[in-house]
Amino acid sequence: MDYARLADEELMQAVQGGDATAFETIYDRHGAAAFSLAYRIVGTRSAAEDATQDAFLAIWRSRVRYQRDRGSVRSWILGIVHNRTIDALRRNQVHATRRADAEGIEEREAASELTDVEAIRRDEQRKVRAAIETLPEPQVRVIELAYFGGFTHSQIAEMLDEPVGTVKGRMRLGLDKLRRELAGVTA
Amino acid sequence: MSANEVHTEQSESIGAYALGALPALEAQVFERHLMGCDLCQEELRRLTEAVEALPRSVAPHEPPPSLKASLMEQVRAEAAPRQSSARERRRLTLPRLRPAMAWAAAALLIAGVLAGYGVSQLGGGDGDGRTLQAQVDMQRLPDGSATLSVPEDDGGGSVLRVDGLPDPGGGRVYQVWVERRGEVVPVSIFDVDTGGNGAAAIPGSLEDADAVMVTREPRGGSDAPTETPVLRVDI
Repeated sequence: MDYARLADEELMQAVQGGDATAFETIYDRHGAAAFSLAYRIVGTRSAAEDATQDAFLAIWRSRVRYQRDRGSVRSWILGIVHNRTIDALRRNQVHATRRADAEGIEEREAASELTDVEAIRRDEQRKVRAAIETLPEPQVRVIELAYFGGFTHSQIAEMLDEPVGTVKGRMRLGLDKLRRELAGVTA
Repeated sequence: MSANEVHTEQSESIGAYALGALPALEAQVFERHLMGCDLCQEELRRLTEAVEALPRSVAPHEPPPSLKASLMEQVRAEAAPRQSSARERRRLTLPRLRPAMAWAAAALLIAGVLAGYGVSQLGGGDGDGRTLQAQVDMQRLPDGSATLSVPEDDGGGSVLRVDGLPDPGGGRVYQVWVERRGEVVPVSIFDVDTGGNGAAAIPGSLEDADAVMVTREPRGGSDAPTETPVLRVDI
């Protein structure tokens, strides 16, 4: 079977039947995005490798849970990677050392040559970043602290010395505006 | 507090919930409201689109080849015995009983004892977890079936999947309960689609649980079951 020609959803059917080669194709397609997300959250390559491997093993072991009518394979995978990496972050209590970076969780760019696939990813990244940059800075900050930092609304409120209600409101408004920007709809 | 006030209060948490920034207890309260609130469901769906875009905003990095090698070594090691044991199970159990047939067979054996429940335990113990078939009350759910997927390390939660369940009717929803040493606690609420399919997450470990059950309850859920379970999975 030529796995490379199969759509993600078709591959997942094979994966759910225990097909390791289909799973390898899924990894080939989404492993880099997963690793990039984990790296963004934990900040070091070694921790990102651990988190990515842990997440993909969890994906393999919980493959029966995937339901195609609940969203794309990519979203499902990245959701698991995000949750597992944040869980690891919280377990390891890295928050204490990360609080100092709360003013802006920095991107850590890899110095590698651009392949075609990477060029596409970078173009996609630029588009989403451009949409994020249309948001008021306080909204970006709470969204990034929550999603990439793994902080709860009350932790963020404490860090920023703002009421919890304000933090929650910024998250809600920021996500709504981001969705509109990504959809090409101006608020 | 009126329903409107509850909605207003809970809807303020939608963004934080979508980002995973609500503490567990608050998330549970919000989920309970969410199950009965179409407005919040729709807004959450919209905000989730934005959340799902966030991973695309990060700088791309290539994982090292050793990561894939290590991952696939483990996956292939786990896949091999499972594939052979699955073949073995099929060989030993064909023809497999459908839940309804299993109920009939079980009823012949233990009629009266189980008081109307279909019984089957078709799921085997996979290396990485178990899939347990539910006992279904075939009078109330004549076309119903359900399975409970319990991962080996079930600290991250289990999943109950249902199929062929009718609309609970009367503005009701299906509610999931976990029984531990005689105590029954509410876990989650779910609806089914037009095909009768649905799923419910059961957070936390079921290691010390005796059973997972489902009843039909008023929208929003109940604190205690108001009817005998329509399906039950013994752990």
